[in-house]
Amino acid sequence: MSDRSATDDGEADHEHGHSHHLEGPGYATPQAAIEDGSREKLAYVMSLYVGTDVDAPDFVAVVDLDPDSDTYSEIVDRVELPNRGDELHHFGWNACSSSCHVDELERRHLIVPGQRSSRIHVIDAKDRRNPELIKVIEPEDVFEYDLSAPHTVHCIPDGQILISMLGDADGELPGGFLELNEDFEIEGRWDQPGDIEMNYDYWYQPRRNVMVSSEWAAPETYYPGFDLDDVEAGKYGRKLHFWDWEAGTVEQTIDLGEEGLIPLEVRFLHTPESTHGFVGAALSSNVFHFWRDAGANGGAGEYRAEKVIDFESREHPDWDMPVPALPTDILLSMDDRYLFGSNWLHGEVWMYDVSDPSNPRRADSLSVGGTFGEIREVQGRELAAGPQMLQLSLDGERLYWTTSLFSSWDEEFYPEEGERGSVMLKADVDPRAGTLELDEDFLVDWGDCPAGPARAHEIRWPDGDCTSDVWQ
Amino acid sequence: MARTTHSSSHDVRLEWPDGRTRTIDVREDQTVLEAATCADIALPFGCRIGACATCTGRLLEVDEPDAPDGDDDRGAVDVEDAFEYRQQPRALKDRHRDDGYVLLCLASPRVDCRIAVGSSVHTELVDNPWK
Repeated sequence: MSDRSATDDGEADHEHGHSHHLEGPGYATPQAAIEDGSREKLAYVMSLYVGTDVDAPDFVAVVDLDPDSDTYSEIVDRVELPNRGDELHHFGWNACSSSCHVDELERRHLIVPGQRSSRIHVIDAKDRRNPELIKVIEPEDVFEYDLSAPHTVHCIPDGQILISMLGDADGELPGGFLELNEDFEIEGRWDQPGDIEMNYDYWYQPRRNVMVSSEWAAPETYYPGFDLDDVEAGKYGRKLHFWDWEAGTVEQTIDLGEEGLIPLEVRFLHTPESTHGFVGAALSSNVFHFWRDAGANGGAGEYRAEKVIDFESREHPDWDMPVPALPTDILLSMDDRYLFGSNWLHGEVWMYDVSDPSNPRRADSLSVGGTFGEIREVQGRELAAGPQMLQLSLDGERLYWTTSLFSSWDEEFYPEEGERGSVMLKADVDPRAGTLELDEDFLVDWGDCPAGPARAHEIRWPDGDCTSDVWQ
Repeated sequence: MARTTHSSSHDVRLEWPDGRTRTIDVREDQTVLEAATCADIALPFGCRIGACATCTGRLLEVDEPDAPDGDDDRGAVDVEDAFEYRQQPRALKDRHRDDGYVLLCLASPRVDCRIAVGSSVHTELVDNPWK
């Protein structure tokens, strides 16, 4: 699968198959990304109309983040997709820092799946302000591999692209992984059908020859909306799967139990040698730390997981049951010092110091929007939903977020989101003091889109960010 | 609506919450979504494989030739008899089907009928469990 060499005995291979004379895309190390990366001037943001009565396709918004620009905090371009009904959700680059040794590769193409349609789009972003659609893989071509519902997109070393797929061709289980080649053609199925049942997010750490994947549910379960009956019927996930990255086989599965229900975003530390990482269990409102334990007497060891952050439910005076926090997104700062997250239902953005990953220390939080947030409006714009997808500047000083989770779930918990559209907000982060402060001068409003209010989801920077870069 | 008997198509009246209506002719080998698209009518949809329920409509009435007009109650009409599915409507639970919900991306009519359409129909399928 690649030209790297990796050991399976828990020891990092510091040669890892290539020299670090940087020729290809990305940065030589996470620290180089912090030092050499410039301030984010643009953002690409998934924007959608699926599930509404607005007769328009979803689009990729290009947002101006340059404070010196006349169009600062405005949507300056929209890449409209050819079909309605996609539900653009998560997306990724064709190449990242894991391909730093492949000198012909560029971080140039965005792979943009439709979560609901199973359609996969390829966008050429060579012109960063005016990206254009160049290719579409139709759902029928995806269904041929008995897969549907594309989710997480990562480049993998040498130019291929791997996409987690949450269902089979009928929207049932099992999910799996679809591999594209460097010409953006379907290469095939990466896993063996049935290796896992449920799928969601994944992250890989090539120097440790490991990939970790998490679980949501079958598309037929989560697509229509959240139903507690499905939880009681065991239809939602609670497991982490640790894969042999080169072999593409599951080596270990950890059942997180009742406190690990719906483990969504999963992040290894950026440090390429690290086996530590975190996963947010949305429904249980917990964050788990996972790591590979050194084996006794020099053995291979195994992965372990332990709950390290627990958010309490809150009583709402007019509601029947205590409301869970629902931490739907987490991310690690590029220096691996801070873990950030969003409690979508409560309306909270938080940061924990994870210098010691087994003992996170709450640094600060911001109460904004959602069901309980103290800050209810920005620039006169009432906030209709809670903080959701996050993105952090490479230097860790600016945290941005959007407010849409998934169209059908938005309708259930924040019906005003569809009527008003999403917003993108920003907090200034002081990594030295460990503080967050809402920047009330910054607001991007998807309520003003020409075709009508739109939802906004995942955010990416043109030249790498804290949730897409991996180092080989 | 005139009842179409022994024919290969049926009149389907689409009714939006804002009072707008459109009647389309849907062949028995077409889904309601396909016929609406041909008529340049935008209905919500997503997966087109019956898993996501984005296209959900609700059967309001099956046309009865002798019934007075203007009766909004669906009465005892069985939605399972009114439509034939191209493939299994996985997104609908039994309780949804009992209540007359139908996936318009897969369903072809077997009778003339009226259907509530628009994105708000889908939102009726689940409630915020904590509220």
